Amino acid sequence: MASVTASFTKSLQRNMGYLFKRSLSIILSILLAVLVGSLIMIWYKQDPIEIYKQLLIGAFGSPRGLFITMQRATPLIFTAISSTLAFRTGVFNVGVEGQFFIGAITATFVGYAVHLPTVIHLPLTIFAGFLGGAAWAYIPTIMRQKLGVSEIITTIMTNYIATFLISWLTNYPMRATPTVAETPFVQPTATLPQFVDINPLIGKGTQAHVGIFLAIALVAIMYYIFKRTKLGYEWRMVGLSSLFSEFGGISLNKTFIGGMLISGGIAGIGGAIEILGVWRKYKDLFALGFGFKGNLASLLGGQTILGSTFAALFYGGMESGSLGLEWSAGVPRQLIDIVVGLIIFFMAAEGMWDLLKRVKWARAGEPVRRTTENLEV
Amino acid sequence: MDLTGLIDVLQRYVFNIANIQGMLRLATPIILAGLCALITDRAGILNIAGEGMILFGAWFAVAGSYFFESNVVGLIGGILSGLLVGGLFALFSLKFRANIIVMGIAINIFATSATIFLTRAVWHIAGSFSDARIQGFDPINLPIIKDIPVLGPILSGYTFPVYLSWILIILTAIFLYRTPWGLHLRAVGENPQAAETLGINVGLVRFLAVMASGVFAALAGVYLSLGHLQGFVDNMAAGRGFIGMAVNTFAGGAPLGVFLSSLLFGFVDTIGFRLQAERIIPIYFISMLPYLVTLAALTIFTVRHQRAARVKMQKVAAEKAAA
Repeated sequence: MASVTASFTKSLQRNMGYLFKRSLSIILSILLAVLVGSLIMIWYKQDPIEIYKQLLIGAFGSPRGLFITMQRATPLIFTAISSTLAFRTGVFNVGVEGQFFIGAITATFVGYAVHLPTVIHLPLTIFAGFLGGAAWAYIPTIMRQKLGVSEIITTIMTNYIATFLISWLTNYPMRATPTVAETPFVQPTATLPQFVDINPLIGKGTQAHVGIFLAIALVAIMYYIFKRTKLGYEWRMVGLSSLFSEFGGISLNKTFIGGMLISGGIAGIGGAIEILGVWRKYKDLFALGFGFKGNLASLLGGQTILGSTFAALFYGGMESGSLGLEWSAGVPRQLIDIVVGLIIFFMAAEGMWDLLKRVKWARAGEPVRRTTENLEV
Repeated sequence: MDLTGLIDVLQRYVFNIANIQGMLRLATPIILAGLCALITDRAGILNIAGEGMILFGAWFAVAGSYFFESNVVGLIGGILSGLLVGGLFALFSLKFRANIIVMGIAINIFATSATIFLTRAVWHIAGSFSDARIQGFDPINLPIIKDIPVLGPILSGYTFPVYLSWILIILTAIFLYRTPWGLHLRAVGENPQAAETLGINVGLVRFLAVMASGVFAALAGVYLSLGHLQGFVDNMAAGRGFIGMAVNTFAGGAPLGVFLSSLLFGFVDTIGFRLQAERIIPIYFISMLPYLVTLAALTIFTVRHQRAARVKMQKVAAEKAAA
């Protein structure tokens, strides 16, 4: 018994050490990115401290800011979870962007063309989004599994195809008015209520909607699946080592295809919820980049469910903060993407933080370990 | 429609000199993006950051040309950005052990935002920027060659980056197959452990390969912003970095193959422009063409490749059985 406790404490210590090192490198990455961001702002003739302060106050400093953060983060949580699921199964799904928008347009169609009571209509519309996203992920998935074509090229290609397909749909068959390229409004039975609809005092002046609860539910479900079910275990194992998993009796085909389709489906639900909660109709090119930002948020969150959720919330907050900044100080909101990108670069660069270790070793008088790990890319 | 009618239609819309010129012109960025993919692929590296490198190259070419009113400075600006982005990419993914695909995804998204930010920060313009100060490349008429009937108009009258892409195809082929450095690169790509044993500095070769890929991609950007258009448009790479990867796949890593398969995409783009003018089908489907063709070509190529491999395996098995 004592030995078990001892080994447990030992492994805990080792894990704590790892966690400490990891969080240290994350904090340093953020600091470094903030520093480089400051240099850019100084070049842009802005006071960095003032800008960062305004960003944070804009995002988290007022109830209105918080509601906008919530609204901005909702779709990003879906695309980030979608990316994480794919990344963890070892598939680089950079087609989340296209899957999101195809999900949005299929949901819009079911939303305005079908007449049903809310109880059926709303779930059906969201499910249509899931099917749209999954269908859009289907071609790259099959091309990878059956032909071995890299999903990175094919998913990017399907993004472009999705953009043009939707432009055609909103310009011709689904167009509602001759002046603007947009679809009719979805039926009231299919919309997700905004907080202001429920109580005019909650979230005044924002478009925050109850979709955030669906996002939280998704996070809970995915966390449970990943941690507690056989399916989640298989997804994680396949991502870690596909050969080993196959040897262990996991069907690679089933796991990959299932993971990728569900990843696409989740992105599609995100699109559906953005339409049903915020826009209520599809306007051609109403927004772009939800999928790519989801990819980034997933990478920022270390490709874990909780990590990418927090990253999506953070990203949403930064977007909400940068909106005000763009109006007041004229700072382009792309600055946020730049800082987030920098954080990811520094976080991913594990070897950069070896410098810290080397200093420590040198101080301890130990020789610096030279690795050949960088040989294997 | 009788045969002469068909030939007439084909000549008018498909096989004429203007279309061949368009094909060679529009193939240029794909050729350069293909070389970007090729040089890293041959070094055993999966570089998916070509798209972002093209965008940076295009932006810095415009900046150089705008501030110095010289296309040469624009070209140099583009090349320097390629070296810088390639160098940073190599530093992070090779030296600092960042996952190269993660880095690639992040760089591509980063480049989109960064170039939009830079355009807004420097010129206070969103969307697209063009200005009389930007000096692009003028068409060059090659002496003697331009007077040859038929071949003259096909080979002469392009802007400098078009010729540069042809020269680079030849130089890359010579480098790969005729120089010791090329041999080292291929050795590193095929078996890094063996190459290391032979005393080749694997890390250095890969580092330089990534930097070279940055320059190739940046040149594709230079062509887009100074040779094709004269200015910068947000997201003007339009997936060409990835099409370049596909082109390299078809070519199996051979420079001449990259050139030939790029022509297919140049051709598709040109036909797209013609169809656009004819207003037969909605423009959105025409804009989709390059991406659809990439998917279709990848599928056909891989199916044929796999079939060929299977036939070969069967042959070997049959020979063994006979022996």
